Parts: sequence; C-alpha cells; structure tokens
Amino acid sequence: MPDEERPIPDEPPPVLGTWPRVYAFVLVYLAVVILAFYIFTVHFAP
Amino acid sequence: MTTLDWVVLFAWLIFLVSYGLWRGRGSDTVNQYLLAGKTMPWYAMGLSIMATQASAITFISTPAQAYTDGMRFVQFYFGLPIAMVIICATAVPIFHRAKVYTAYEYLEKRFDAKTRSLVTLIFLIQRCAASGVALAAPSIALSVILGWPFRVTTFVMGGLVIVYTATGGIKAVTWADVQQMGVIFGALVLALVIAISLLPSDVSFIDAVRLAGEAGKLNVVQTRFDWNDRYNLWTGLIGATFLMLAYFGTDQSQVQRYLTGRSIGQSRLSLLFNAIAKVPMQFFILFIGTMVFVFFLFVRPPLVFQPVEMKRLETMEQYPALEARHERAFDQRQVAARHLKDARDSSTRDAALAEFRTAQMEMDAAHRDALQLTGANDTNYIFLSFVTHYLPRGIIGLIIGVIFTAAMSAISGEINSLATVTVIDVYRRHFRRDAPDRHYLLASRVATVLWGLYAILFATFFVHGFGALIEAVNQVGSYFYGTMLGVFVLAFFVKRVGGNAAFAGALVGEAAIVACSRLTSAYLWYNVAGCLVTVAVAWIVSLRPVTAPR
Repeated sequence: MPDEERPIPDEPPPVLGTWPRVYAFVLVYLAVVILAFYIFTVHFAP
Repeated sequence: MTTLDWVVLFAWLIFLVSYGLWRGRGSDTVNQYLLAGKTMPWYAMGLSIMATQASAITFISTPAQAYTDGMRFVQFYFGLPIAMVIICATAVPIFHRAKVYTAYEYLEKRFDAKTRSLVTLIFLIQRCAASGVALAAPSIALSVILGWPFRVTTFVMGGLVIVYTATGGIKAVTWADVQQMGVIFGALVLALVIAISLLPSDVSFIDAVRLAGEAGKLNVVQTRFDWNDRYNLWTGLIGATFLMLAYFGTDQSQVQRYLTGRSIGQSRLSLLFNAIAKVPMQFFILFIGTMVFVFFLFVRPPLVFQPVEMKRLETMEQYPALEARHERAFDQRQVAARHLKDARDSSTRDAALAEFRTAQMEMDAAHRDALQLTGANDTNYIFLSFVTHYLPRGIIGLIIGVIFTAAMSAISGEINSLATVTVIDVYRRHFRRDAPDRHYLLASRVATVLWGLYAILFATFFVHGFGALIEAVNQVGSYFYGTMLGVFVLAFFVKRVGGNAAFAGALVGEAAIVACSRLTSAYLWYNVAGCLVTVAVAWIVSLRPVTAPR
C-alpha cells in the first residue's frame, strides 16, 4: 500500500486514560508553574 | 578560542551533518522526503519542534535579556501550553485525517483555491525574510566573536544546512534536531553551573539569587495590566496564546513537524511535550542571564560588550574619562553588593540597596554614553562575551557549536517548509498537476537548495545589523499570524462560512492589524485583533442571503 493510503491511527494517551484528562493535566500544570513563579517573584522582589 | 575549542566545534559540526545525512537516507519518495513517511515517534517530533522554534538568537539574546531587563520575558511563553492543548484537540486530528502535506492544502479542501493561495502567499512573504535573518543574525555575532569574515560564517552555516536538508529531507532535519537539542540542554546546564562556580567564594548560590532579586532581575510574573507593556501576565496568557496558536497551528515550519507523526497520538504527545518543557526551559535560560549579571557584579564587565566597537571606542578621546567613570561606578556597585549581601536588618539593607541603585544607575549611564559614541547595540554580545572570556577551554567550543547548530536547526526547518509549500501549494497546484512522484521529489530537492541559497544571499547582502531587525521580523510575523489563525478558526469551527466570506474576512483582518499597530507597539495584541476581526467579518459576510443563479 502506498504511504499516502495508510490509515492514520488514533490511540489513547500512555497515561491518564483519555486525551481530555491529559489536556486538563497540562492546564493545571501551567497554573501551578505560574503560581510558583509568582511566589518566586514576590519572595525575591527588592 | 584555543585549539581544543576549535576541535570540539568542528567535531560537533561534522558529526551533526553526518548524522543528519545518515538518518535521512531512504527519503526517495515525496511522502518520505516531506513527511518522513509518517513514521516519526513523539520525542523526535517534540525535540524538532523545540529546535525549530529556538533559533541561535534564543541562546544569544535570551540570557542578555535577563541581564538587562530581568526575567519577565518568560511570560511570553505562558500562552504556549494553552495553545498546544487547543491544537492537539483540533488541528492535529483534522490535518492528519485530511492527509495533506501542508496546512494550506487543507484550506482548498475546506474553502477554495483563492483562500489557499492567499494564505500560502502570506506564509511565503513572512518566512522569506525570517529565513535570511535567522541565518544572518548568528553569523554577525559569531563573526565578531570568532574574528571570521561575516560571509565565511554565513556560508559555513548555510552550506552545511543545505547539504543535509536537501539530501535527507525532513527525516534528516528532525533527527539532526534531536541531537542538537540534547547537546543544547547539556551546554545550558554547564553554562549555569560554571556561571555559579565562578562567583567569589564568599558569595553562595542563595546570596547570588538574593542579589539578582534585589537588582530587580527576578521579575518573572508581572500582574499589572498595561496595554503598551509587551511582557506581563495578561499579554502572555491572551496575546501569546493567539500568537502560539497561529505559529504552531498554521505555520508550515511547525505543522510539517507534527504531520510526520506515525499516529495522531504521537503528534499530540510531541506538542504536549513542548507544552510541559518550554516554559521551564525559557525560565532556565533567563536564569543563566541573571547569574551572569551577578557574576559581573564582582568582575568588571567591559564598557561595551561588542569587541569591535570596544576597540573603536578605545581610540576616541572621550574614552579615558568614560572608562574611569565606569570603573568608579563598578567599584561602588561591588561594595554596595557586598553590603547588600551581608545586611542583617532592614535599615542596613535599605541603605545598601540605595547605594547599589545609585551605583547601578551611574554604570548604566556610562554604558549608555559609550553606546551613543559608538552607535552600537551590544545586548546580544553580553552572553557571548561571558562565554568566550570566562568559560573553560573546550566548553567555549561546545557553546559556540551549540549556537551554530541552533541557527542551523531553525534555518533547516524554514527552508524545508518553504520548499514544501513552494512545491505542493504553488508548483503542483498551479503549474504541473499530474507529474510522477519522482518529478516532485526532484522539485522538492531543487526548491530546498534554492531556498537555502536565497537565505545565504539575503543574509550576505541585505542584512547589516541584527538588533532592530530581529524585533522587526518578530513584528512582521504578528502582522500576518492573526489573519492566518482567523482563516483556520473559520475552517475548523464555523461551518456556514465559505471561501468568499473567509477571503473577505482575511483582507479586513489585515486592515485591522494595521490599525491596531497604530494604537500600540505591544505586537502580541495584533494577533488577537487580526484573528477576531477575520472571524467576525467572515461570519457577517456569510449571513448575506445567497442570490440564486438566473
């Protein structure tokens, strides 16, 4: 079968079971990173 | 640079090109050459996406940005994880299932040929300039630092990129990027460790971080909203999300990376890897800049970091007075920094901080006057100056090699995507529709070589400085990305909108961006304005009743 004809498989993520859960994890992670940076900024502000 | 540094530099360059050529073998169909036969694993795509986005300027100017302006630039990347999640949920499965080579090919399937052609043209215009500057900017910096003629560095970098990109296609580009990112990570960690180890023995790591904070360099998150401020929490979360959506969702230099995935899941993982890794990575690079700043609190920095301009300054009659003023201010700042470090109560600390700020202002004034005399902008030479003067033998060659290859990875990604769009969206669409696969493979290789030569010639003859130019290229991107994003948002989400409405929306969207640019110089907002206006106008046009043909 030519390369172009090959069906494109969709597969579940390796962790957390579903893609929406993985997306939610990434957004929560971003919120935690921003919060940590904010605390860092306030702590070391002149 | 010592002999050992030269050996490390050339060994790394030779290894990288050979490895790219080896991994790129077997690219003997258009699908293999442009999409790697859709066989790529997530980590290779993820690192390649990161390498394509991180040009040499990232490693030259990002630490310098922290040195001069603090770490607030990291907020520019806050929109990236949000954009990645949206793209994973929408664009990735749509592009994969449409079985397209380019993002713009999909637009003809969804709208019509003219909308595809318009967006193709926008992509080619903005990437044309960017590819030349991506090559020229590090060439200028490296030629100054290495003492090579500018054209030599340009031809070395451009020539090596053409060899492995034209031969091995996207497989060579992607696997070379994987190696490059590995070495880049290692070199950055080394640079930070060495910067900290070079601090005076009585200055601990915690002291260094505290001093950077007192100097206002650890301003990572700025919550105050200011329409004209380029980097704060809100421009990062809103403006940058739109920019990243456009860059990763509509720019072929990125779309092509994740179209090489062997499954939709692998492509998603590659983008989510960037969503997780990119913000900490930028924080890390900026943090290196703050440690370089602390290092120069105890070791006097040159009056001007650009070595050629510094030599010129030394011949001027104002130089001795300026140098004496700079040295005096440095001595005062060093004493103030030690007072600040040793301060135990708030009154001592406040007095030391006032003393520090006065000395810092005096140093900045002397530096500014020196730059005015020379007419130079030395920001992009701060990190290079630190690397070449203070890092151990061998490590200098490695870091310079990393900067070389960071430039090469960005350029290879750009000429590869320019060639793909030229062949698929222009040549195959408008000039030769039904040629055999071998014909398009040859056309792709020829287009890659031609775009590579173009980048070399553009860099050699049209780029003469890079401070303002880099900023200009970033802004040029923001002049178009909003519209491109708007068209794709219509394609994905607004079913009732057809080709004519999308085309009209794109034209009005561009006009809105021009209007927005007159209101604010904070260019991240142009992406928001362009996208929203494009979508709104196309939607309104689509409400117009359709006249039945007579």
